[in-house]
Amino acid sequence: MLSVNGLCKSFGTHKVLDGVNLTLNPGEVVSVLGASGSGKSTLIRCINGLEKFEAGAITVDGFDVAKPKELAEARRRSATVFQQFNLYPHMTAVENIALAPVEVLKRPKAEVIAEARALLDRVGLAHRADAYPAQLSGGQRQRVGICRALAMQPRYLLLDEVTSALDPEMTAEVLDILKVLATTGTTMLFVTHEIAFARSISHRIVFLEKGELIADMPTADFFSERGRSLPRVAQFLSKLQGEAL
Amino acid sequence: MRYTEFTPYDIVLLLQGLSVTLWLFVASTLIGGALGLGFAVVRYYRVPVLRQLVHGLAELLKNSPVLVQLFLVFFGLPVLMKINLTPSQAALITLSGNTAAFVYVIAVSAIEAISREQIEAARVFGLTRWTILRRVIAPQALAFAIGPLTGLLVNQLQVTSLISVIGVIDLTKVGNILNLRTLKPFIVWAVVGALYYLTAKAVAYAGSRLERRLRAHTDWKGV
Amino acid sequence: MGFDLSILAKHVPFLLEGLWLTTVVCLGALAGSIVLGIVVAACRTAASPLARRLSAIYVDVFRNIPFIVQLFFFYFGLPEVGIYIEAAPTGIIALSIAGGAYTSDVIRAGILAIEPGILEAAEVSGLTRRKIFTKVILPIALRTSIRPLGAVCVNLVLTSSVLSTITLNELTGSAKIVAAETFRPFEVYAALLVAYACLTYAVSGLFGAVHRHVNRHTAGEVA
Repeated sequence: MLSVNGLCKSFGTHKVLDGVNLTLNPGEVVSVLGASGSGKSTLIRCINGLEKFEAGAITVDGFDVAKPKELAEARRRSATVFQQFNLYPHMTAVENIALAPVEVLKRPKAEVIAEARALLDRVGLAHRADAYPAQLSGGQRQRVGICRALAMQPRYLLLDEVTSALDPEMTAEVLDILKVLATTGTTMLFVTHEIAFARSISHRIVFLEKGELIADMPTADFFSERGRSLPRVAQFLSKLQGEAL
Repeated sequence: MRYTEFTPYDIVLLLQGLSVTLWLFVASTLIGGALGLGFAVVRYYRVPVLRQLVHGLAELLKNSPVLVQLFLVFFGLPVLMKINLTPSQAALITLSGNTAAFVYVIAVSAIEAISREQIEAARVFGLTRWTILRRVIAPQALAFAIGPLTGLLVNQLQVTSLISVIGVIDLTKVGNILNLRTLKPFIVWAVVGALYYLTAKAVAYAGSRLERRLRAHTDWKGV
Repeated sequence: MGFDLSILAKHVPFLLEGLWLTTVVCLGALAGSIVLGIVVAACRTAASPLARRLSAIYVDVFRNIPFIVQLFFFYFGLPEVGIYIEAAPTGIIALSIAGGAYTSDVIRAGILAIEPGILEAAEVSGLTRRKIFTKVILPIALRTSIRPLGAVCVNLVLTSSVLSTITLNELTGSAKIVAAETFRPFEVYAALLVAYACLTYAVSGLFGAVHRHVNRHTAGEVA
């Protein structure tokens, strides 16, 4: 279980997260929604240890992210896919995927590389396995990014606005893959602007506004009267009226 | 009688050496600076033949060791042209020429950094090329070039140390003399190094002060 | 006695020996500079304030003291502390230390240019700091550093001429001998000047080619 308790985080005097509580159980797909600047990305960056926080606790299968000695174990249980892909520019797609499994998990290289190729095949990139990031399109890069995360066999997959840097066509490429992952039991914490998609794959929706967690409820409830009874949620959803939900 | 220990007079000796270094540095900077600017003007006016000549010379001086340039002038020139050159004269000629080559490169890129439109606008107002060069290009180019020029001067100060090899009694040569006499290389070269270091820092400081003043000036003009 | 290069012909093999020594010394110093530059760049970008401070002092000191003073410090100083090595290794050591200061600047710039997100990805994946440095930071920084390293190498070649002052008969040292034997210093040093210029052009051309080859994938086109 991944659990966040009373998480508070500020940048200077600006409170980004204010007493956030959240749990993610194995097998669950939870989407985090909210306007830009609501603290969604910071939440993920606190969970994977990229940001320090002032108050509260985050544990991943019991390992405390705030304790330097436990952070490595906590990180080993999760993997992050980034908005800007952040692939290693000097490595091919396969090498990008294989680096951490070989160096961190100490698995045999040949085995890891075979597995990396299989992963790339699953996302339709078998033919681009030996290409460098600069030679790939944005959508292809993000698919490699997803493979890189999956290769660590994480118990929790953290997705930080993974389609925000992509155009609609490429977004569809990436979402198709996430859909398959969601239906095959991968545990995901999905920070996104893709409301319709979040609705279609999530078990639960978490809604953040100005760093406060306003709603945490089953997807069906969030998009029904129960969600709309919360003024902020209603406001957020009404802005998206034009979009097909 | 041999003085193997340091004497108070050694301080005077060091300061004399430093003053020779400084004087050659300043003189070669002034001559080289003027020469380099002249080269850049030749390029700006697209003077035929001379322009290619200047460019080739600058490339050659930039891409060869100053020590070899020094040998060419000190040992080579007198034989070829049947003249006499003192070590100081040879040093001044070489250092000035070398500085000129680098000033030329900096000046050319500074001039090129100024937009063509500005120059054309000035021309539309009927300003002569000379006035444009003096009033429009020069002030802006200087503000642009002052940073690289400071770097160049710090470098050229260190280059002066090579003139000790042809017998000029500069700071490095004094170091050599003291080193041979006292046989205390660590102390001698550390002191000589420290004097160079402090001088370099002073040059760099003066450059950054000047840069701030020039930039303030252009900022103010921009308002 | 006019300008006559033909007198050099029979000394070419001897000069080529000098060129070979220059090449060996420069390759040694380049390797030394890169190793030192990597270590110092790592310190200068390290989390530890002490490491940052010490490495910054090293760079500042060795960039602001003339190379010849550094060279004499080692050449005359090392025997004082019981280290007796020949001129060539002394020269390689001194050049490496001086070059290391510049190389560390180049590599540091390469490190600072890496997108923070890439390092975050490496950190989150659980790689140790050492692995992140050797597998991600260094390979990326070295790739972007190749062209500026070419400029450092050109400077090493030019600076290596100063080693002739500690009895090392590299290219400049050999030319000095030829000049003394032939009594034709102008021809000898003029030819040497051009030879160094060609050498530096070759060096920067080589580094440019290596740069293009190594970075052929990262500049790439989207397929």
